Amino acid sequence: MSNSLVKIIVPVIGLVAALVLAFVAYFFVQAWWAQPPAVLGFGDGPTQPVAFPHTVHVTTAGLDCQFCHRTVATEEAATVPAVAQCWFCHDFDRITGEQSSSSTAEAEIAKFIRDPEKLALDPPELPDPVNWVRVHRLPDHVQFVHAPHIQQGFPCSTCHGDIASMQVVEQVRNLKMRDCVDCHRDNDAPTDCTTCHY
Amino acid sequence: MATRTQVKNRADHKWGMVIDLDRCTGCQACVIACQSENNIPLNDQSAFLDGRAIEWIRVERYWEGDYPDIKARFLPVLCQHCDNAPCESVCPVYATYHNSEGLNVQVYNRCVGTRFCGNNCPYHARLFNYWEPVWPEDLRNQLNPDVTVRTRGIMEKCTFCIQRIRRSTRGGKQVEDQAFNPACVQACPTDAMTFGNLNNPDSRVSQKWEDERAYRVLEALGTNPSVKYLKQVDAHA
Repeated sequence: MSNSLVKIIVPVIGLVAALVLAFVAYFFVQAWWAQPPAVLGFGDGPTQPVAFPHTVHVTTAGLDCQFCHRTVATEEAATVPAVAQCWFCHDFDRITGEQSSSSTAEAEIAKFIRDPEKLALDPPELPDPVNWVRVHRLPDHVQFVHAPHIQQGFPCSTCHGDIASMQVVEQVRNLKMRDCVDCHRDNDAPTDCTTCHY
Repeated sequence: MATRTQVKNRADHKWGMVIDLDRCTGCQACVIACQSENNIPLNDQSAFLDGRAIEWIRVERYWEGDYPDIKARFLPVLCQHCDNAPCESVCPVYATYHNSEGLNVQVYNRCVGTRFCGNNCPYHARLFNYWEPVWPEDLRNQLNPDVTVRTRGIMEKCTFCIQRIRRSTRGGKQVEDQAFNPACVQACPTDAMTFGNLNNPDSRVSQKWEDERAYRVLEALGTNPSVKYLKQVDAHA
């Protein structure tokens, strides 16, 4: 092998090796520190099929989270209410005998409840549920249960942020395993793998 | 805000099982119950022929004697949750370990599929997912939401229905004896299986644990299983 060929090959190999190392390093740093990809609900919150403002319901109407997310203190999932439950409050005629104060709310609800009379039938003819776009999502191998967290007295905002002031709900905490485990350690909660993974 | 209670130190549980072989009729109800509770894919004939069938509990059948003096012996075999488990020490990624409740635990998201544990298990209780699990369209909605669906390339095995244990002991609660049972025990029509807390001396399983017929499978290996069998005794032996 001639001397000049070595002079070319050695720097090329060095350059390629440096690039590979840089790529690997980038991969690890990115995987370790970065937020999950935007599809999991980061960045701007997704557009929902109903323009439902948490701001109005929590701040103006003064509703507690559990008024709608009823099973959050007792079950795995917080659950979203049925459309008929919206109508329970928004049927202003029945409650106050007056017309609705918000025409936008009526228009939004009318997308799903076209004929309120049918709700009064026995048995009631229930409208289709709202096809909400999921904002907070954990991987399938995580068994997260809301109930014990609420029962221990943590407010919903611990993980979900200040939903009351969000026009469009978005994820604020990365909810990766380190996030969960750090909090479990701080609060003397179990850290056995099978607490969540089974 | 309510005061937070200490939940780190779990209530004192050591889960165990006793299987009375005198009562076992080999009906396979436990196998089916386990299959549906734990999201185990359906095993067709080829899965058995290839030795790739996934059954967290299986009923082994032995013939004893010659016709006409022949007897069928049944032995339901599940993960024995050994206190000195051969599978745990060989896992390179700590995906299987012993937890504080005496359970031999399999962490699916940690498993990389080396199959060392399966090869080291003397009871053949560990099963490997060679394929992505598939269910018929009609059965998609019967999957148990409390149990992870395992993907291709990882080990799985009996968990003593840990999802039921977690549901019952949530918040560090001490459960009463027989407050819940794993799917196999619940399904057993002859009450051959007993599950419970071995640390509670009054529990049904602790009573049977000391039975004079009790033995462990492959006891000489010193694996110290959490499952005991009660020997079948023939009336006219």
